Amino acid sequence: MKKPVFLRLFLAASLLWANALNAQTPSRVILKGLVSIDSVGEPAAMATVMLLNPADSTLLTFARCDAQGAFVFRNVRNAAYLLKISYVGYLPYQQYLSPAENETVDLGTLVLRPIQRELMEVVVRTAKAPLYIRGDTIEYDATTFKVPPGSTVEDLLRRLPGIEVDDGGNIKAQGRDVRRVYVDGKTFFGNDPKLATKNLGAETISKVQVFDEKSEAARLIGVDDGKQERVMNLELKEEYKKGAFGKATLAGGSDNRWATRGNYNRFDDLQQFSLIGYGNNINETGVNWEDYSEFKGQSTFQESDGGDFGFGGMSGGYYFSTSESGLMNYFDGRGFTRNAGGGINYNFDNKKTKANASYIYNQTFLDLEEFARRDNFLNTGVFSNTDTLQRNEFRGNHRFNTRIERNFDSLNVLILKGGLSWSRSDDQELRQQRFFDSDAPQNVINRIGADNGSDRQAWTLNTSAVFRHRFRKAGRALALSAGYSQQVSEQRERFFSQNQLFVPFERLEQFRTRNLNDVDGRQLKSSALYSEALSQRWFWQTFVNARYSDNDANRQVRAPDQGDARVDSLSVFYRFTEQYYRLGSSIRYVVEGFNATVGLAGQQLTLNGRFARDRELPLLAPPIRRSFGDLIPYAAIEIEPTDNLSFDVEYTYQVSAPSFSNLQPIPIFTNPAFQSIGNPELGPERAHNLDFSTYYWDDATFASLGFSFDVNWYESQIVFSQQVERSDSLGIITISRPENVTGGQRLWAYWWSNVPIVKNRLSFSFNGYAGRRLAPAFVNDVRNETDDRDLGLNASLSLTLGSKLFFSTNGGAGLNNISYSIQSDLNQRIRSYSAGVSLKWEFISKTFLESNFNYRFFSNPTFDFRQEVPIINASVRRLLGAKNRIEMRLAAFDLLNRRITINQRGAENFITTSITPTLARYFMLSISYNFRGHADKVKGSSGGIIIY
Amino acid sequence: MDIKIPSTRQTCLASNARQTRLVSLLLSLSLTLWLALLNTAAAQVAEGEIRYLVKHDWVKKMAALEYVSAREREQTAYMWGNRSEWKEYMRLYFSPQRSRYEQSDEVAEAEMIGYAWRKEPLLFYRDFEQGRQFDIVKAEGRTYLIEDTLQCPQWKILNDLREVAGYVCMNARWDDPLKGHRIEVWFALDLPIPAGPEDLCGLPGLILEANYNNGAMVITADRIDLRALKTELDWPKPKIKGKKVSLEQYREVLRKYIAEQKKAERPWFWGVRY
Repeated sequence: MKKPVFLRLFLAASLLWANALNAQTPSRVILKGLVSIDSVGEPAAMATVMLLNPADSTLLTFARCDAQGAFVFRNVRNAAYLLKISYVGYLPYQQYLSPAENETVDLGTLVLRPIQRELMEVVVRTAKAPLYIRGDTIEYDATTFKVPPGSTVEDLLRRLPGIEVDDGGNIKAQGRDVRRVYVDGKTFFGNDPKLATKNLGAETISKVQVFDEKSEAARLIGVDDGKQERVMNLELKEEYKKGAFGKATLAGGSDNRWATRGNYNRFDDLQQFSLIGYGNNINETGVNWEDYSEFKGQSTFQESDGGDFGFGGMSGGYYFSTSESGLMNYFDGRGFTRNAGGGINYNFDNKKTKANASYIYNQTFLDLEEFARRDNFLNTGVFSNTDTLQRNEFRGNHRFNTRIERNFDSLNVLILKGGLSWSRSDDQELRQQRFFDSDAPQNVINRIGADNGSDRQAWTLNTSAVFRHRFRKAGRALALSAGYSQQVSEQRERFFSQNQLFVPFERLEQFRTRNLNDVDGRQLKSSALYSEALSQRWFWQTFVNARYSDNDANRQVRAPDQGDARVDSLSVFYRFTEQYYRLGSSIRYVVEGFNATVGLAGQQLTLNGRFARDRELPLLAPPIRRSFGDLIPYAAIEIEPTDNLSFDVEYTYQVSAPSFSNLQPIPIFTNPAFQSIGNPELGPERAHNLDFSTYYWDDATFASLGFSFDVNWYESQIVFSQQVERSDSLGIITISRPENVTGGQRLWAYWWSNVPIVKNRLSFSFNGYAGRRLAPAFVNDVRNETDDRDLGLNASLSLTLGSKLFFSTNGGAGLNNISYSIQSDLNQRIRSYSAGVSLKWEFISKTFLESNFNYRFFSNPTFDFRQEVPIINASVRRLLGAKNRIEMRLAAFDLLNRRITINQRGAENFITTSITPTLARYFMLSISYNFRGHADKVKGSSGGIIIY
Repeated sequence: MDIKIPSTRQTCLASNARQTRLVSLLLSLSLTLWLALLNTAAAQVAEGEIRYLVKHDWVKKMAALEYVSAREREQTAYMWGNRSEWKEYMRLYFSPQRSRYEQSDEVAEAEMIGYAWRKEPLLFYRDFEQGRQFDIVKAEGRTYLIEDTLQCPQWKILNDLREVAGYVCMNARWDDPLKGHRIEVWFALDLPIPAGPEDLCGLPGLILEANYNNGAMVITADRIDLRALKTELDWPKPKIKGKKVSLEQYREVLRKYIAEQKKAERPWFWGVRY
């Protein structure tokens, strides 16, 4: 620890000065003295005596008095010192010492002044430092003394130790009358001390200081009469640190493209209030992460408080609050959208109570055109269809959410949550399908033209309460939860289809219905969890879950062409109830870096269902009652061999009940060619699941690696078997039906790595995934094994040059091989490749060029499908204003005008390939004002180009 | 508070009590006894163990990084505000001649009871008699074994008095030139031991509280157990492997790392102990 230069100079100078003044001045001296606690000479035994540098109070050396109160510093440099003595119960003593003339300096007896007894009481009695003694000033921290709301300062003073207030409001501090009361060091409305203490509210005060000062007369005349008056100063609380910020952006472009968004936030110590709004026709269905997190503020991340306790316990940690994530941008790349939304959010947090309330609205209009081909195969052959879709869709959602967390004390917490949402959607679609034999595309079997519409409204209510109690004994805790939710929806559908058939003779079949779908579902659930520490290393947990749900669904199908009569074969009313109970227990062993858990639960699931044509009509069949009992084992191990390497393994056994729509036996379709029908005999899906993950990082190089895999073995899997019929009346119809099959596996592995080549400059990342799914399914009663293998690889190299330039390049490949046991001719090799470069460059001060080029290639040799999609985006932005508050941006999106969206997918017995046009080339000019200023650094990230 | 020292000596405060009026007999009696206990502690304490509660507030840690843009720091504070605190326990063995500071086996976060992370290697050992120190610190993912002559901060003595864990303390301050911390500590007037938490030492009394950068990290003694120690204060024989360096060599490593992180505008304290 080096001494500051000025200090050395000071010491040297003072030494020189001393030497120059008197040549005989010794360079080393002995300092001694006696410390006493009263004038009689009672010694301050063991008092601490310190020598400080008088310039800055730096501690130079210290000594301790002996039992007689004597101290001595031998052989110290002869210089100026600040002598400081500290002794419990006495005010710190300070004395300035000039450089000495003799080798031995006897300071004589130094007498300490006692701290008032009442004050010392305060220092010791109140554990958390409400009182400071600063020299002669005594300071109380007013915020630690509790007074009822609405109390005056006088009420507060009555609670302060050492201060007395009589009935008349006169104040005594440490036994002496307080003559004056200042507020923030200033006289408060004249000289009557009571004016301030009777009128000011206690909550406005942060500190109360008591000290002595010269009498008023002495201060006026300027002559010290030796009289001291006791004074009190009330320090007002700093205004809550209030603030506000916000931003607004406006953008307009070619082809009538426009976008706008803005947000405004106000906050203080306790509260955050924010508004947000956006609108555009450039496929941004919501706001980005930064805007969202600014909107949600302290409730962006919430503590996990799901009430469904299980083997994982009530694990702590935060999760991203998804209840309003409808506000975040999510667009699947298909079609053209117009979007608008907004919200209001309020957070309150005083550490004891955290509260959040928010309301958001968002809406999207979608115009979609899609061209798809689907190849369906049977054990006997392959048929295909093309599908041209035109769809107009509106979706609007209102969401209100609230969460209150109350910490009664460090042991008890209650969390209440409530959410209410209302949504409306309106779809219109036109569809043209052409069915043909794959080996003879010119031979059209039939054509279907459909014109469908639907209008749906839905209410959802979610409420939950979680109470957690920790016992005094460490590790013992009880948690209880309850929740109720309800969903009510009403949907009107209008179906019209024309089926043109060519075999055995050409004719036209029409199908027209009007449907009414009502759903009313309710769920009530409750859980309890008890944890106990058996020892330092062994922990035990047990939990109970109960859930009851009740669903009514009514689908009434009418045929307008037949006098609006009900179509009995398609109409159904069903009521399902589900009861679920689980009781489980687990034991955990922990030792530094090793945590292992084993557990077992028993669960009982009962499903009851009844079907009728309509709500009031007799049952169609005897009620269905299914009951499943299972024993569920659990095991998990987490190992950290070092503090930067971890391995986690978890085994679970999952039993999931079939969804009630999969149980109902009436066909549902919007298109007669593809129908689905439930299976009342369907059992639950049972699967063994093993998860493994490992993670390594290196703080020195910033290298990190991660790998995980997840395997499922199905004891019983729910798959959709396909029944494909060629009927003379309908052409080709496919009926899918859920069934339980044994066998089937799913394996998914994922890895990522980030390796710096030159630290902070050049880094390489490599990540990828590999998956395999073996799914058996029946196609026309023949068992087919689908083997679906996926491999994805991505590599990128990024270069950061100072804060001015960021460059990255990346390449990737996605390989998907699908083989079918009953039709190996149709085995698929679906490929997609990509390569890209991206640049961010501050080429002139405050002026940035951002550009990327991305080339993608899609292929599937089975169908001779090849498609390339090259995309170039670029933007130039300039920051203006003192704090970079204004940003102007000119952006070009998809300069080559080549953007389309391609999806290739294979499932049980079909493969689909679709091409969807979406927003292509446009130019945009935007201006944005950000109260906090815009980012003025090129930060290493390979994120996309910001358009506005 | 766990202060278990028999009282024999009459104290200055008790004699002082004569001058004051009888406010509450009971209170005075118990208090006098208590103060007597406190004062005699100085005479009798030889050695013992302290449990420190360490509160980390990473929003305040971020706020103290002047090289990170105000925009980023404000946004962190706005999003995390009151949720940014986590707690741990540390342990100090002390005697007038030696001290040893390390991680405690006790878990401070109630949520974390029932889980045991791998702790990073950490030790601050001080031998005031021999003037030697031995530290084990992890920095940048590497373990360093630092053995050197004893070096304590250059303290500025301030003038406030406060109680911490039943002891009357005075404050002092040190501005750490390497990490840029301003550290305010409270040392006990009647525990005449130059030890303290982390690498803090060299005051006339035991440091019972240390406040880094206005609340970014606050280390407070919350249990003081004065008792005879056995082998706890023997010169450590670590099983752990690491790079053996001098204190100056280690400081050079830190200096370089912090400068690097500053340049990249990244918080340095993810890779190095605060």
